[in-house]
Amino acid sequence: MNNNWQTVIGIEIHAQVNSKSKLFSSSSTEFGSAPNTQVSLVDAAMPGMLPVINKFCIEQAIKSGLGLNATINNKSIFDRKNYFYQDLPQGYQISQFKDPIVGEGTVEIDIDGKKKIIGIERLHLEQDAGKSLHDQDPNMTFVDLNRSGIALMEIVSKPDMASPEEAIAYVRKVRTILRYLDTCDGNMEQGSLRADVNISVRKEGDELGTRCEIKNLNSFKHIGLAINFEVDRQIKLIENGDKVNQETRLYDVSTDKTRSMRSKEDAHDYRYFPDPDLLPLNLNQNWIDEIKKTLPELPDTKKIRFINDYKISEYDADVLTQDKSISEYFEDVATNRSTKLSVSWVASELFAVLNKLNLTIDKSPINSKQLGSLIDEIENGTISNRAAKEVFEEMVTSEKSVKDIINDKGLVQISDTTEIEKFINQVLIDNPDNVQKYKDGKTKLLGFFIGEVMKVTKGKANPGLLNQLVKKKLDN
Amino acid sequence: MLKNLTIEGTAKLLKDKKISAFEIANSYIKEIKESKKLNCFITISEEVAFDAAKKTDARISENKKIGLLDGVPLAYKDLFCTNNILTTASSKILSNFTPTYESTVTANCKSQGAVVLGKLNCDEFAMGSTNKTSFYGPVINPWKSSDKDDELVPGGSSGGSAAAVAADLCVASLGTDTGGSIRQPASFTGLVGLKPTYGRVSRWGTVAFASSLDQAGPISKTVEDAAILLEAISGHDNKDSTSSLKANEQFYANLNSSVKGLKIGVPKEYMSDDLPEEIQNFWNDGKKILAKNGAEIVEISLPSTSTALPAYYIIAPAEASSNLSRYDGVKYGLRVQEKNLIDMYESTRSEGFGNEVKRRIMIGTYVLSSGYYDAYYIKAQKIRSIIKNDFDSAFKNVDAIFTPATPNTAFPINREEVDPVQNYLNDIFTVPANLAGLPAISIPFGLDNSGLPIGMQLITNSFEEQMLLNIAKNLQDTLNFNVQPTQWWK
Amino acid sequence: MEFDKNSTLKLAKLARLSLNDEQLDSLEKDLTSIVSFIDQLKEINTEKIDPTSNSLNQDLILRDDIAENKLSNEDLLRNVPDSELGFFVVPKVIE
Ligand SMILES: [Mg+2]
Ligand SMILES: [Zn+2]
Repeated sequence: MNNNWQTVIGIEIHAQVNSKSKLFSSSSTEFGSAPNTQVSLVDAAMPGMLPVINKFCIEQAIKSGLGLNATINNKSIFDRKNYFYQDLPQGYQISQFKDPIVGEGTVEIDIDGKKKIIGIERLHLEQDAGKSLHDQDPNMTFVDLNRSGIALMEIVSKPDMASPEEAIAYVRKVRTILRYLDTCDGNMEQGSLRADVNISVRKEGDELGTRCEIKNLNSFKHIGLAINFEVDRQIKLIENGDKVNQETRLYDVSTDKTRSMRSKEDAHDYRYFPDPDLLPLNLNQNWIDEIKKTLPELPDTKKIRFINDYKISEYDADVLTQDKSISEYFEDVATNRSTKLSVSWVASELFAVLNKLNLTIDKSPINSKQLGSLIDEIENGTISNRAAKEVFEEMVTSEKSVKDIINDKGLVQISDTTEIEKFINQVLIDNPDNVQKYKDGKTKLLGFFIGEVMKVTKGKANPGLLNQLVKKKLDN
Repeated sequence: MLKNLTIEGTAKLLKDKKISAFEIANSYIKEIKESKKLNCFITISEEVAFDAAKKTDARISENKKIGLLDGVPLAYKDLFCTNNILTTASSKILSNFTPTYESTVTANCKSQGAVVLGKLNCDEFAMGSTNKTSFYGPVINPWKSSDKDDELVPGGSSGGSAAAVAADLCVASLGTDTGGSIRQPASFTGLVGLKPTYGRVSRWGTVAFASSLDQAGPISKTVEDAAILLEAISGHDNKDSTSSLKANEQFYANLNSSVKGLKIGVPKEYMSDDLPEEIQNFWNDGKKILAKNGAEIVEISLPSTSTALPAYYIIAPAEASSNLSRYDGVKYGLRVQEKNLIDMYESTRSEGFGNEVKRRIMIGTYVLSSGYYDAYYIKAQKIRSIIKNDFDSAFKNVDAIFTPATPNTAFPINREEVDPVQNYLNDIFTVPANLAGLPAISIPFGLDNSGLPIGMQLITNSFEEQMLLNIAKNLQDTLNFNVQPTQWWK
Repeated sequence: MEFDKNSTLKLAKLARLSLNDEQLDSLEKDLTSIVSFIDQLKEINTEKIDPTSNSLNQDLILRDDIAENKLSNEDLLRNVPDSELGFFVVPKVIE
């Protein structure tokens, strides 16, 4: 059905600044507190209350802008966006309209090994709204203002994405960048990062179609499902000769469908105007330059460095740089150790465990130092790879050191030539027939002899040495 | 009763132990209760007042040093939020609102020992120049014309603040001035009214009307009292992003009434044939006095003067329409219960706001709405730049500007209002200073032929309040105007 | 601009005011008169002028990021028309 239809997607990301206090008040931003216990007189819009801006939030917005390769505007203005809603105590949201703090920028995404640049239109600071609970009472809605006034960075993309995959890759990439910058924790379940997705469809070569905005998507999965549903819906509408209405829609998690928002029926006229309670924000270039100096290495740069320095594949580099903590963990492990071993222990063994336990790397039961010492034991021949897996499993639940686990389990590898030769001699004596067959040319039997020695040594024979010695014995 | 007490005078009585602060407070409370006819007070805070007065008396008996405001009975426009005291902005929508916090301005007075007698009636949300838009009914001017018995408006919006001081129901009061709301009622009641430089006084905890114009200030019997109160309420407040970082000044100690060598500008655009002859005469008297006392009077031009009022009636309603959105029946104040949210908003706001407030919300909504924003709102903000530039150029040549405070004197409460614009013209001389953020003062000059007070206005450059007060004192001392209304209301 | 019933109603809707016919009538008249008053600015040339939204010539004051919850739930809800379990309560909203 989607033949010669094109999808055009633009995304507004709302990313919560990881500040301790709100954008214009000193209330805490702590997640999960009792309702309406983090609400100041300002947040509740009591008569005569005035906003005073949080310096840290401005810094974080600048930092984020720099991380998105964007221009920082030396003068920006806070505006009021006027509308009535139960979760908006002032009757207006303080946002930035004409003069945002950050202007145009770019984000690079990777789709099946192909790079694509997604344009950033702007980033501005604004207040979050409160939270409404509709299921507490049949006739009433309950309102909690704890979120009201928390600082958000709204990052607006250009309509540069053409598929759900690109959309997801974009949001993922922005999230990664913000987490690298440490300006937003990116926690989508707690609502620290939400996406409003604007979707339209058109036939190739046609002008842009009418778009619909799907609000507040808070997982990559929902972004994908919502776009798929919406694209199909719009195409069907047009193919049936109907028109797409420009509207705001909600994604329903229980049905995987989008539906029109009833409460937003009225045509809006937000009557933006500069907030007379706030003066223009003039940013000193020195301040911006100072912040620039503190920027960490960002994922794109780090990925290239990993490929060059560690000689790893682009795929591995991608996996290892998707998250700042992962990349740092990896570098801790890989420094002065075998890259191959480091990649495989981090990207396969450790990731498998974290996945199983549903943990992020910051909460990993095995820290980078511990994993490093395990790899050390492999590299210096104390344990075999197979034994290492056993040690690793124990490390997940145990507080014991790598050395103690190896000793307690008796996993120390036999690397003494005379000792291994003793075992080899015994195996050869016990299997005269196979020795003869080998000597007659059936060299495949080498594996059999190695296996037998491993059996009697309970896997502790140093495999490299064993291989060498068996071969030497048989070929003599 | 205690007649014609000033802050200075009260402080002296207390210092000399002629009378106790409690006795003073008690006398004023009694007077307030006997003067309900004037409708100055919305709330009388008797207990709070007595409590504060007793504390002053304790300090005096312990021979502690007391400041000029210690034990002095003040009252506040009901726009200042006062902890545990009803604060209504004279609106039905806040008629049940008791703040849990204290505005910076009133907290400053409190910490200096002032005794707060209560909260004063005003135009609803400070919108008006007659005090007729109050949910609590109009305030009646203690002054009456000698030839007619009509009850007169005290001016507005700080009508209660002016009438209460004029009627000796408090020693001095605080009002707010967005387009003339301190100076015009002061002029209508024979008092001194001072609007400080925008940013001089914190707006925190004061119910907002138009955020970029609102400033609190004193209404008092003398320039000295104005200096004392201004000093008490001003200074930087880190809770207000539009609060000036300039250090506070000792306006009272530094009062100096000499005008020798000062250049005082008289803008030709303020002269018009419509201006009543008596006002023109007092204006001319003022020029002569200043000249005689050593100032140089120069005619100046403020070409943008006529654009100020229309610009004001775009900017102020625009900001107000947004500032008043918070009154929605959700968090505090009046709620008219309905089955759905939008109906609840609409019923609450329609029931809670009076007609003038609705008019201004509608105009404000209109000038900000899409398609009209540039033509009205942006245009008005540009006009504001022009007005500011006019003043900037003028102050390159003169130290102060001298004009009438109002185009008329107090008029009858029951005057027929055909058109809202007619009332807006009351602010014609006062509005330019608000748009430019400049300090301005209204000083009583005398009585017209029917015995009603007339005030004149002085404007200086930003943060030149000391100069403003000094020139005002010179005029005050020379004029020696000291007439009070007869007490017809008791 | 002449205000008619429609344009007045539209504004009232935006401002969340409900008006009866009598109020609408008088508002139409008042708004028309006020707008004709402010319309006199249209004749003023403001082409090269920057708008001023606040007369205070000062840098925006910035606050340090220090969190403190000073207002108790009880004080927050001191004047509330309707509340339950610490929440503000409003008529049911359907999204
Ligand atoms: Mg948006
Ligand atoms: Zn937003």
